[in-house]
Amino acid sequence: MKTLKIKIDGKEVTAKPDQTILELATENGIYIPTLCHSPALEPAAMCRLCMVELYEGRRKKFVTACNFPLRRDVEIKTDTPDIRQGRKLIIELLMARCADSPLLQGLAKEYGANVQRFSDLKDDCVMCGLCARVCEKVGGKTLTLSGRGVEIHVNTAFSEASEFCIGCGSCVQICPVNSIVMEDVAGERILKIHGREAARVKLVHCEMCNKHFGPVIDLTKVMSKFDKGAIPPSNANICPDCARIKLAKRIAGRYYDTI
Amino acid sequence: MAGIESKCTEPEIDYNVLNSIIVDRYNQNRENLIMMMQAIQKQYRYLPITALRYLSDKVQVPLIKIFEIATFYASFSLKPKGKNIINICTGTACHLKGTGKMVEHITSKVGIKSGETTPDMLLTMDNVNCVGACAVAPVIVFNEKYYPEADLSVINTLLDQAKSE
Ligand code: SF4
Ligand code: FES
Ligand code: FES
Repeated sequence: MKTLKIKIDGKEVTAKPDQTILELATENGIYIPTLCHSPALEPAAMCRLCMVELYEGRRKKFVTACNFPLRRDVEIKTDTPDIRQGRKLIIELLMARCADSPLLQGLAKEYGANVQRFSDLKDDCVMCGLCARVCEKVGGKTLTLSGRGVEIHVNTAFSEASEFCIGCGSCVQICPVNSIVMEDVAGERILKIHGREAARVKLVHCEMCNKHFGPVIDLTKVMSKFDKGAIPPSNANICPDCARIKLAKRIAGRYYDTI
Repeated sequence: MAGIESKCTEPEIDYNVLNSIIVDRYNQNRENLIMMMQAIQKQYRYLPITALRYLSDKVQVPLIKIFEIATFYASFSLKPKGKNIINICTGTACHLKGTGKMVEHITSKVGIKSGETTPDMLLTMDNVNCVGACAVAPVIVFNEKYYPEADLSVINTLLDQAKSE
């Protein structure tokens, strides 16, 4: 396969065609800050923090590293004064939304951002869209960015509590500013967005220890995604801790009658 | 359960009508999703949640995606619209020609702001930013008909017309 000759931050490296700048940088130990990127998901280039300078001949342009596919031999600079300036502004704008985020505070320090430059918008979301993208891929297709322009926000369908959530918690895990909250209360898992209840999922009750654990799963639906011959899980009503104890007891039981 | 968009009472959904749109006209083909949504909007003058749920099921597109589309395009509405729709252009050219005053005039006369509908469901005011006819500003669109170089008297006539229907 043809390879590309890329110069990145002064280093001569080779890249595979269509590899993104971010992938190449990561491969070569060069750090580019990102907020809306996950290697597991299609890039959406929402946050613009990964902006780098691309030189082709005598032309220079700014591109987002996370979704820019390399197709020609070019030079890339990832940390110039212009780029730092741009990132600083983005961070200052985001700080107006999520001043409490440790991640943003760290970035603000790194780029010398004036965190009080813009007045507090009292929001809690940086609109990276990661939750919606991960929910579409691994979750129940519950979340989206609804509206557009200044009105865009993370939402469930019709702003109602959603019946599609499977309580997987991917959105909570992936959110860079911890804006999505999930609580297990009285046998139910409650998903909250902007403080509003966005979904409620029943939890399974462990047959052995009586505690609630993971969400109730629609097994028929899950099994239908496999080929014939897939074996349904045993111990589906036992929590992981008890399952381990049960297994340990069974192994031990081969040597002792009781334990 | 109730969200902001769902407070209104849903109209009776005639599934035969929905089927004639989704199945007969567009073959349940999800590539025609937006056209189906337009046809549904035309039928009910907005997109009723029940109809969208049915659509989602029929074309196997997640409800959340349909919701996303419905909130993305300004021409779709999740709130019932009035029988008549008036759009005042508030783009730069029309604004300079005084459409701001026209909007205020409508608000004071029938008590609705942009995006709102009169309680009798006869009139909705949806203001737009430039309808692409700046040369003949100020422009008003009433039930998809353009009224160039409009003034308050045109508006008054249109308001009367809306009321009489
Ligand atoms: S917990 Fe619910 S909303 Fe969050 S990613 Fe999973 S399915 Fe989607
Ligand atoms: S990480 Fe590239 S735009 Fe957000
Ligand atoms: S501003 Fe009204 S038509 Fe362009």
